[in-house]
Amino acid sequence: MVSSISHYLNSFKACLKIDHTIRDDVAEELSAHLEDKIQELEENGLSKEEASKIAVQSLGSPELIAQQIYETHAQGSWKEALFSALPHFLVALLFASYFYWHNLIWLSIVLILTVGMAIYGWHRGKPIWLFPWLGYYLIPVVVTGILLLSLPQGWGWIAALIYIPLALFVFIYIVRQTARRDWLYASLMLAPMLVIFSWFSSLGTGNRLLSSDWIAGLQTNALWIVISFITLAGATIAFIRLKPRRYKILSLLIPPLVILFSVTMASRGNIDSWGWLILLFSLFAFATPVWMQARAYQ
Amino acid sequence: MNYGRELLKGNTDSLLLCLISREPTYGYQIVKELETRSDGYFQFKEGTLYPALHRLERDNLITGKWQILPNGQQRRYYYITEKGQQVLANRLATWQDFASAVTSVIQTETT
Repeated sequence: MVSSISHYLNSFKACLKIDHTIRDDVAEELSAHLEDKIQELEENGLSKEEASKIAVQSLGSPELIAQQIYETHAQGSWKEALFSALPHFLVALLFASYFYWHNLIWLSIVLILTVGMAIYGWHRGKPIWLFPWLGYYLIPVVVTGILLLSLPQGWGWIAALIYIPLALFVFIYIVRQTARRDWLYASLMLAPMLVIFSWFSSLGTGNRLLSSDWIAGLQTNALWIVISFITLAGATIAFIRLKPRRYKILSLLIPPLVILFSVTMASRGNIDSWGWLILLFSLFAFATPVWMQARAYQ
Repeated sequence: MNYGRELLKGNTDSLLLCLISREPTYGYQIVKELETRSDGYFQFKEGTLYPALHRLERDNLITGKWQILPNGQQRRYYYITEKGQQVLANRLATWQDFASAVTSVIQTETT
């Protein structure tokens, strides 16, 4: 008896990828409903086993209830959608104007705003709009690793041997924590990293990194970079506003296609081996959660 | 598509608001009330009630609160909000106008 009810509730919980407090609350309600139904059926003369079997059947498919509950809670408000897309718009604005890149006050405002939003979101129970902001925090972790690899021969590897395992540990830990809530949130969080590192790799790595040629390349491709971030912002809004999960997955797959097209157009295939490595790492990190979710969905 | 089922689907929110407006109630009690008041006409998978309740709560038409019953069991009671009462009043007025218009047309046809 107990096993059929717990099996039902576990199936329901496994299918429902939303905030755990909401999920547990609904599961508790279903459990209370089953208790009432079983009690009534037992009073009508049924055995506990028969009663629990009928009670579970009368509730209906746990997958269907989970899907309907998900659609109720999965659609964020317009406010949440705009909050989620805001960091991408800010970065697009940064690249849209030469002035903003070189203005320390503007850069400081963006940085303080980003830090403030992340701290606020963290203490507000990690709402969905927090994840795109968090994605920008992972970028310095990876960028430091890339810069360390660019140090003069010998030093680079020593730094990398200590830093990279530590950075990977932090990176994987944060991604896993996010994926525990929802695989798709992990991809949403990693999306800015994909855009930034795709552009990094196309403009050159190693000794060319941050050189005058590299900065010039950044300026030349500013329009494509802005388009990439605007696409990402649009996809984020779609992700938050769409209800069905399959459409959310689709909305996450659009930015990589636009970005890969933009990078290919801008670089004309001149990507070095480190560049390819960074590009593949970003693509892998971004696509894995979506792929895991697509598998679970099947 | 079953016409009766479609009608029920289109009016689930109004039926739930109506029941909750009478007295604060919880999921299982709502199912029983619907069954009793409709003389068993409304038959549906009981689990589908909860997405509907959560949709109403999301739209601030009702609010849910956990309460402990005298026997120690916990139930989530739903209360109608002020917004819910306004929406219900509008829907009931619309429904009554619609039902009387349909009845008038049907009666004209049959006489």
